[in-house]
Amino acid sequence: METIDFNKKIYCIDNIKKTAEEFKNLSDISVKEIGGKIKVTFDKIDPEYKDVIKDEFANFVLGLMG
Amino acid sequence: MKKEKGFAVLLKKNDNLLEFKINPKIYTLNAIYKTAYFFLDKVYIFLDGDPKKEIKVTMKSKSGMGELEKVASEFYNELLNQLLREKVSYTNAKVREFIVAKALYNAVPNEVDELLKEVEEEDWQEDPLGIAKTWEEQQAEKGEKSKKSKKSRPSLTPSLKLRSTKKLRPMKKKGKK
Repeated sequence: METIDFNKKIYCIDNIKKTAEEFKNLSDISVKEIGGKIKVTFDKIDPEYKDVIKDEFANFVLGLMG
Repeated sequence: MKKEKGFAVLLKKNDNLLEFKINPKIYTLNAIYKTAYFFLDKVYIFLDGDPKKEIKVTMKSKSGMGELEKVASEFYNELLNQLLREKVSYTNAKVREFIVAKALYNAVPNEVDELLKEVEEEDWQEDPLGIAKTWEEQQAEKGEKSKKSKKSRPSLTPSLKLRSTKKLRPMKKKGKK
């Protein structure tokens, strides 16, 4: 299981949810708001993308923000 | 490893990871987003921190080849570029809106233009009611018409002719014979 904590003041939750929808074929993804953070949890990750899924996810979200 | 590089503070963690901080009072968050977008194909970027105080940028190499410092320097240059774009966009906003509005207005035919086109297409020179004619012209035409009507009036029947001629004859006095 892998997690990323996105800062709520910088990242928009709608974009994170859209990204989670795009990545749903690669992993089971849950998005939760905890305090000032948005916690994204990856479970049952496709072994082919296990090393890059977190970074690619963060880049995708940033791409939607820009 | 902490490295002062002009205005930027590069905190190098290892060959594949680099952190540096940006002052959001100089560079807007929007400019940072756009700059990050520009580098998404080269490196992995993660943003953190407080947008009012300090923004922390974490860069991770995609290829694992290093050269992150060079990318970070380019990142700062691109930040300036985006900031300038933002300012130019802000100052030219009204002119841009005016140009776009004018282009759209010209592209879509409005009701006034359609009505004008209809009027132009109509043959106004026909003048079936004779509104465009002057009083003199109208009178002259009336005169001609009356002449024509007299000429072209169908010939009176013999009885009517007689009547009309009778009227012209002087009246005979009944008492005189």
